[in-house]
Amino acid sequence: MWSNQKVMRGLALIAVALFFGVQAAGYHLGTLARAGAGLFPLMVSGAVGLIGVVMLAQAHFEEAEPMNFNLKNIAIIMVSLVGFVLIAQHVNVIAAIVCLVFMSSLAGADYFIVRNLKISAVLIAVAAAFHYLLGLNLPLL
Amino acid sequence: MDILHNLAFGFGHALTLHNLMYCAIGCLVGTLVGLLPGLGPLSTISLLLPLTYAIPTDGALIMLAGIYYGAQYGDSVSAITMKIPHASSIVACIDGYAMTLKGKTGLALFTAGVSSFIGGSVAIVVLSTLAVPLGEVAFLFGPSDYCALMLVGFVCVSFVTTGGHMLNGLSMALVGVLLGAVGTDVISGTPRFTFDQPFLADGVGLISVALGFFGIAEIAKNLDSNNQFTPFNGRIDLIPTWPEFKRIIPSALRGSLVGSILGLLPGGGPTLAQFGAYAVEKKFSKYRSEIGDGAIEGVAGQAAADEAAARTSFIPLMSIGIPENAVMALMMAAFIVKGIQPGPNMIGQHPDLFWGLVASMWIGNCFLLFLNVPMVKYWLSVFKIPYAALFPSILFFCCVGTFSINNNLDDIYITAVFGLIGYVFMRLGLEAAPLMLGFILGPMLEENFRRAMLLSRGSLSIFVTRPISGTLVALIAAFFAWQFGAFARHVRRSRPMSAGVASRPNSSTG
Repeated sequence: MWSNQKVMRGLALIAVALFFGVQAAGYHLGTLARAGAGLFPLMVSGAVGLIGVVMLAQAHFEEAEPMNFNLKNIAIIMVSLVGFVLIAQHVNVIAAIVCLVFMSSLAGADYFIVRNLKISAVLIAVAAAFHYLLGLNLPLL
Repeated sequence: MDILHNLAFGFGHALTLHNLMYCAIGCLVGTLVGLLPGLGPLSTISLLLPLTYAIPTDGALIMLAGIYYGAQYGDSVSAITMKIPHASSIVACIDGYAMTLKGKTGLALFTAGVSSFIGGSVAIVVLSTLAVPLGEVAFLFGPSDYCALMLVGFVCVSFVTTGGHMLNGLSMALVGVLLGAVGTDVISGTPRFTFDQPFLADGVGLISVALGFFGIAEIAKNLDSNNQFTPFNGRIDLIPTWPEFKRIIPSALRGSLVGSILGLLPGGGPTLAQFGAYAVEKKFSKYRSEIGDGAIEGVAGQAAADEAAARTSFIPLMSIGIPENAVMALMMAAFIVKGIQPGPNMIGQHPDLFWGLVASMWIGNCFLLFLNVPMVKYWLSVFKIPYAALFPSILFFCCVGTFSINNNLDDIYITAVFGLIGYVFMRLGLEAAPLMLGFILGPMLEENFRRAMLLSRGSLSIFVTRPISGTLVALIAAFFAWQFGAFARHVRRSRPMSAGVASRPNSSTG
């Protein structure tokens, strides 16, 4: 069941519906004529939850579809983004760009150090252009 | 006469040095984006949206529009030469690539370029004649009609983007509406879904959502699929013979017409228009027997429709104020960032903006014809850039774009989180495009819904009794009934088969 994309889709939607719906129910609801802050989100959450349930039911009738979740690439991207922010905050943007390029390209089909250096150089030039020409306040150095 | 006068006024605005430059940049970037696999108009407009905060309104809109319709030119090039389908060039792969196999690449590229030009020109005529009268119609719309129209938009977009699995798309549109509800409730002032975090008080940042879903998640998806392709190295003879040229024109005109109409409908736009035009060519063309294995008509019709629809899809946004697809929703966000509410009042209040944009489209058309017909050979070298070299740069632009909104590096974390969410949704088979539409229309939907309920004193029957919303609601109901019927038929047909699968132990469930 956990490896069936259709089942997981339904469950994910029900989870989203509960996440928003439970909070919305806690806000002032009011009546339809004078809706409070919670009424509209509660209705929409209800609709999302309903679609989730319908999808679960459909999954029961249809053939299973395997999940195709590749953790490696998205994880590399997430780590390199976090690395970019941390290095940009504590060192500078130039180091952060080099780090971003070298780390994220681990997810690519091939890996060349020279190519990475070239990309880094171009991106540093772009960052410098943003900084000096467009006045973007990047912590460059 | 009025239209000519207005167009002249528009050209006055579009022909300033700055606007010409923005138009050229838009067309250039659009073509590039159309060519590059793994970058679509949605991703690029998301990436460039932060820039619009810094440049003047008319320039920003001219540039973003240029990217959108420019991408329709470019993507037929990659479809014809290498059979790489982008979101909106699936049809170009059929006859276009068949022509390449026959060694007629140059003719196919010429046909696509010229047909796109014709399609674009026809659509501009439609745009300049229809937008103003349609804006008058929009004044008849009450809050309930707006609600129903937005819901029709959700249903149609869901249907088109998810290829028939309407519920998947619809659920994403509604999740988008919920995301749009994050922040302070405008009417009561109550903070909603903010967890007492001050950065959520104004709602979730549009740029973070757009870059997360269409930048970062898209990269992860492309990396997962790991497509390798060989660049095109064949000969290109662009100049067609006269009989060949004569075959282009009627198809292109038919395609322009079909595209212009389909571009107007909710959920419409290039993708739908191509299929429509291809079907029309198959039925009405003089050479219909050749379509499918490399006929000029199979390329011309769909290329013209593609381009026409990309432009007429501006009409609902500008005259009614409701974007009909996700790209237009991002456009609307660009308008709102600049403090302009698209809708029936816009053309009257900002005629320079509207007519300038229309005029710039025709100028852009000329740019694009030049870029895509005589210069096409040089573009083909773009394909030599491997994706592995491209995506670190896209990541960097996602970071810079997010940073530029508040000059805050911490915002990049939010973008990254949306990237992760977007990736999970994608792997669950849920498309991001309807979510974007829902996210941008969400606040409007809520406001109009609450206003409609206030007017009707809490009676939902207002949606059925008013003629406009009644018709639209009936349309939605018909859609649902049809979907349910299709599902029921599907189950009945696959019953014996699925029973066979179930009898085998552990065959499908892990």
